[in-house]
Amino acid sequence: GKSRSEKLHLKQRQIFISEFPDARAAEILARDGPNALTPPKATPEIVKFLKQMIGGFSILLWIGAAFSWISFGIQLAQGVDSAFDNLYLGVVLALVVILTGIFAYYQEAKSTNIMASFSKMIPQQALVLRDAEKKELPADQLVVGDIVEIKGGDRIPADIRLIFTQGCKVDNSSLTGESEPQSRSCDFTHENPLETRNIAFYSTTCVEGTATGIVINTGDRTIIGRIASLASGVGNEKTPIAIEIEHFVYLVAGVAISIGVLFFIISVSMRYKILDSIIFLIGIIVANVPEGLLATVTVSLSLTAKRMAKKNCLVKNLEAVETLGSTSIICSDKTGTLTQNRMTVAHLWFDNQIYSADTSEDQTTQSFDQSSPSWAALSKIVTLCNRAEFRPGQENLPIMKRVVVGDASETALLKFSEVILGDVMNIRAQNKKVAEIPFNSTNKFQLSIHETDDPHDKRFLLVMKGAPERILERCSTIMINGKEEPLDSEKAEAFQTAYMELGGMGERVLGFCHLYLPENEFPETFQFDTDSMNFPTSNLCFVGLLSMIDPPRSTVPDAVSKCRSAGIKVIMVTGDHPITAKAIAKSVGIISATSETVEDIAKRLNIPVEQVNRREATAAVVNGMELKEMSAEQLDEILREHAEIVFARTSPQQKLIIVEGCQRQGAVVAVTGDGVNDSPALKKADIGIAMGIAGSDAAKNAADMVLLDDNFASIVTGVEEGRLIFDNLKKTIAYTLTKNIAELCPFLIYIIASIPMPIGTITILFIDLGTDIIPSVALAYEKAESDIMNRRPRNKRRDRLVNEQLAVYSYLQIGIMQSVGAFVTYFTVYAEQGFLPSTLLGVRVDWESNAINDFEDSYGQQWTKYQRTYLQWTGYTAFFVSITIQQVADLIIRKTRRNSIFRQGLFRNKVIWVGIFSQIGIALILTYVLVPPSFPCPPRGFQYWFVAVPFAILIWVYDEIRKLLIRRYPGSWWDKNMYY
Amino acid sequence: MATLNEKKTCSERMADFRRFVWNPETKLFLGRSLINWVWISLYYVAFYVVMSGVFALSIYCLMRTINPYEPDYQDQLKSPGVTIRPDVYGSRGLQIYYNVSDNKTWEGLVTTLHTFLTAYTPAAQHLNINCTNNTYFIQETFDGPNKTKLSCKFTSDMLQNCSGITDPTFGYPEGKPCFIIKMNRIIKFYPGRGIAPRVNCTYVGEESRPLEVDYYPVNGTFNLHYFPYYGKKAQPSYSNPLVAVKFLNITKNVELKIVCKIIGAGITFDNVYDPYEGKVEFKLKIED
Repeated sequence: GKSRSEKLHLKQRQIFISEFPDARAAEILARDGPNALTPPKATPEIVKFLKQMIGGFSILLWIGAAFSWISFGIQLAQGVDSAFDNLYLGVVLALVVILTGIFAYYQEAKSTNIMASFSKMIPQQALVLRDAEKKELPADQLVVGDIVEIKGGDRIPADIRLIFTQGCKVDNSSLTGESEPQSRSCDFTHENPLETRNIAFYSTTCVEGTATGIVINTGDRTIIGRIASLASGVGNEKTPIAIEIEHFVYLVAGVAISIGVLFFIISVSMRYKILDSIIFLIGIIVANVPEGLLATVTVSLSLTAKRMAKKNCLVKNLEAVETLGSTSIICSDKTGTLTQNRMTVAHLWFDNQIYSADTSEDQTTQSFDQSSPSWAALSKIVTLCNRAEFRPGQENLPIMKRVVVGDASETALLKFSEVILGDVMNIRAQNKKVAEIPFNSTNKFQLSIHETDDPHDKRFLLVMKGAPERILERCSTIMINGKEEPLDSEKAEAFQTAYMELGGMGERVLGFCHLYLPENEFPETFQFDTDSMNFPTSNLCFVGLLSMIDPPRSTVPDAVSKCRSAGIKVIMVTGDHPITAKAIAKSVGIISATSETVEDIAKRLNIPVEQVNRREATAAVVNGMELKEMSAEQLDEILREHAEIVFARTSPQQKLIIVEGCQRQGAVVAVTGDGVNDSPALKKADIGIAMGIAGSDAAKNAADMVLLDDNFASIVTGVEEGRLIFDNLKKTIAYTLTKNIAELCPFLIYIIASIPMPIGTITILFIDLGTDIIPSVALAYEKAESDIMNRRPRNKRRDRLVNEQLAVYSYLQIGIMQSVGAFVTYFTVYAEQGFLPSTLLGVRVDWESNAINDFEDSYGQQWTKYQRTYLQWTGYTAFFVSITIQQVADLIIRKTRRNSIFRQGLFRNKVIWVGIFSQIGIALILTYVLVPPSFPCPPRGFQYWFVAVPFAILIWVYDEIRKLLIRRYPGSWWDKNMYY
Repeated sequence: MATLNEKKTCSERMADFRRFVWNPETKLFLGRSLINWVWISLYYVAFYVVMSGVFALSIYCLMRTINPYEPDYQDQLKSPGVTIRPDVYGSRGLQIYYNVSDNKTWEGLVTTLHTFLTAYTPAAQHLNINCTNNTYFIQETFDGPNKTKLSCKFTSDMLQNCSGITDPTFGYPEGKPCFIIKMNRIIKFYPGRGIAPRVNCTYVGEESRPLEVDYYPVNGTFNLHYFPYYGKKAQPSYSNPLVAVKFLNITKNVELKIVCKIIGAGITFDNVYDPYEGKVEFKLKIED
């Protein structure tokens, strides 16, 4: 059937080439849809919006609103004057829910948009043959049957069957994980479309050469599309922080409901009217629910997300910000993430000595000893025996950043010589090339013959490079200190040692040799023929070895050691050879200098591998082939027993197995990936990290985070930010919860002691949604308390965001102190207006009676109902103001949980001061500016701002003592109960 | 992103909860050992004792700064409230409805007045002095017994026809009822700026004929010698001066809206939020 289908395609092709018109293309486009991957099915916007409306505390507030309206209805029917108060309260509560819902929805939409804009950054173009004319079209307009042309550097715009190729190689790594470029031709070589040579796949890249092909699949029907849709089928599950927040919401809601119900029962049994009891219940709910908190948390997370984006971590899902912070295992790719993703000359061997070269990203010079004449000879070979060239027009770029046409090793050599010698192209021009044999896999060498740049020297220079053993075979002499010496067995031995040593470091080694052709045999006019090889290719002079490696990024070793001290296990997962993988792991510290693998121990003790006690080996290098044979238990054992693990020669599918293994250990796993095949692992991981530069769209879609610079070190800064935000959210929540008690106590005491109402429901909302918002966000800017990367990752089962200590300390200690301060203010206001504390107890019924308009105070003065109510509102203001003042102290103490405020610095976090001033400013505006008459918050005496100040100071002092004792007696009873 | 929330069945949750309440392995009760509970309770007892102490201390300091004779601020009592007796409040304010032919409907009202006036019998007023000056009774010093100031006598007989002495039914059965108007006390308040404030009752809105009222004492004035008020501590036996009004031409079987204002400098009755400041409004309906 093969030849028949081939013929059929050929026939179709001829038709298409001549007459595939735009109109026909439009028809097919309408039928098949655009050539783009359908983004993963998004939740409908309205569902997202409604979720915000009923999530978190919203249900409680809706209940509050419903109760308000019910009591409004009842009171209206009874003809009570104040019925409308309840209507308004209900409306306000509903508005609070709707507004915070809209806000949260907007925040989420904004962070989604960041991602959307990111993926649309580069619209792909394709060169298409239509209407017998070459056109540049957006790739998503391609249809089945289009003829497209591709060249080196292009991304393949669809699945195409090649009909013409010229030296075409494609990089299928994003699809198959194979990092070696694969050549492509028009030959049908395999039944499996993934194996056959005449198909190039959507989203892979053409590395070199050119090709023309017919589009056979577009959009989701491409191979990649099928994999991607498979990966996106996995549902979204809850992030650790989402679980923490849910836990916190349950806790607060539980407290609110139980106190509410308890006091409902108490008030009913104290013979309050049911309706009044319901109104108390609303007040208790409103006081208990931190209305602004969830919005604050969202803002804090998005601030952190922004900060992380600046540090090259683009977070797609706000909650992933914190997930990164609780990460306990990072499974990292090697190439591009830990390494620079380019071959670089790492070592040289000449004059019987190994020299190290600088492999950093921004090298401008090389500092090894360059005085030897041997180096001069070696550098000439390196420069001349090289086909790679810089793309023109990049003279102003740093050498390391320039784009090179050529393969990886030649690029490395070109840049290396450019750094040391300067203008390589000029040197090549002066040493005119007269003949050349390019590298091929049979010869395993590359050779070229040049004129010399010395006008008096009419000899030709033959230079050769290649696999070291092959080069050595062709040499009879070796250059030592510029002099040719016979290659005896001793020198050959030295060569072997050096070759083994460099190879053992996981480096790719090349040998270099040369020969000056005698002038008499090869005169200036001699015609070199590379086919008949009319020149010597043996008895050459061996000059030296160069070894190359894809070196680690310079920031990585530091980042890895940071991970180590942060208790995060870094596991390298790579498709590379175990030796290279191990070498890189050692150089970045994933395998530390002192630790040994089982094989190392076996070698050291000179015993077979099987006899080694596996527990002695802290490190392990696991080959993909071994991994294939392993059971889940064996993998678990490896993950458990070894602190330092490298997985080499693994396929992207095995990455998923490794991730699952790590998760079985209870770890929060971060995984990096770039290929399409990585997407299941990225999805499966607690936090999937896609590479921004090398990553495929499918990987980016599956990931929770995109690493814009592909740098491992950026993950570590992300971890730091994630841990910081977790700590800071604790502070924010502790800050917010505290004043809930000061808002709740008035209701409780009002019910039990029948005093005039100290604070109104609307006034509570002033605090929760007015004065407290900016300060709680300001805590997100707080710097870490010293040792954030020196402690173990958070245990997601034990280290809760809101733990018992936090709730108890906020509610039962600081909250109570705040309540006392606020009540003292309340009593002061009433006493100074004529009602001494003793006269207030038990007056509720008379106080609130409309029928008593000559209510007597402690001095014998008489008050009408309205005059009393106005005084009551003044009390609200004073209560509100004194909570605000004490919240300033609360804000300051929440800056740290363990350290003294003075150590943390009062002024380092400027945003806290913005918070404090905004808090006071908003309170001033609410009490003195925005006050229509009969507003439940009338402006009154400035002196009441200061009544609570001693209590604010008391709170500060108390918390300093708490922190002092925690620092002084770590692990003590105090530490266990007072540290949150 | 992977799942972290393992789904639990209800019975598992209950078992977890039971283990939380009492864990027999670790001997933890509600997550703490018993000795730990003792410690934490002791700490909280101590903490709350200290906080109560702090609160008590604050209130003590507050009381030390308080002047026993007059409050520090009077900014919320600028103008006195006015009340009326008898006072029957319906769902929309004062509503005094009765039927002249039905004793039961007005006996309660009469009793209210009698009870109210018991504070104004000569016996109840025996501590107070007779005042004759028609000017403010300003007392810089404490001239009364036990470091108090003197108060002027106001006895119910000053209300003449509405005193309940000559007519114990206050004119209710005749359809010409008496009402007693009282002005709220405010310490050191000087009403009228030298001219005695007086009560003036009118219909609210359009009425065909003017309201005929007898005022007691004459002109319905509050004599200035009852002012200023020096407070409960300085004037323990002070009683508010009263003005009685007797409506003479009430149309029967119609709900009438009447307002009694106190006219005098310093007394405002135009606060829209406070219906009892400087005036009292009520509905009156007499049936037969």
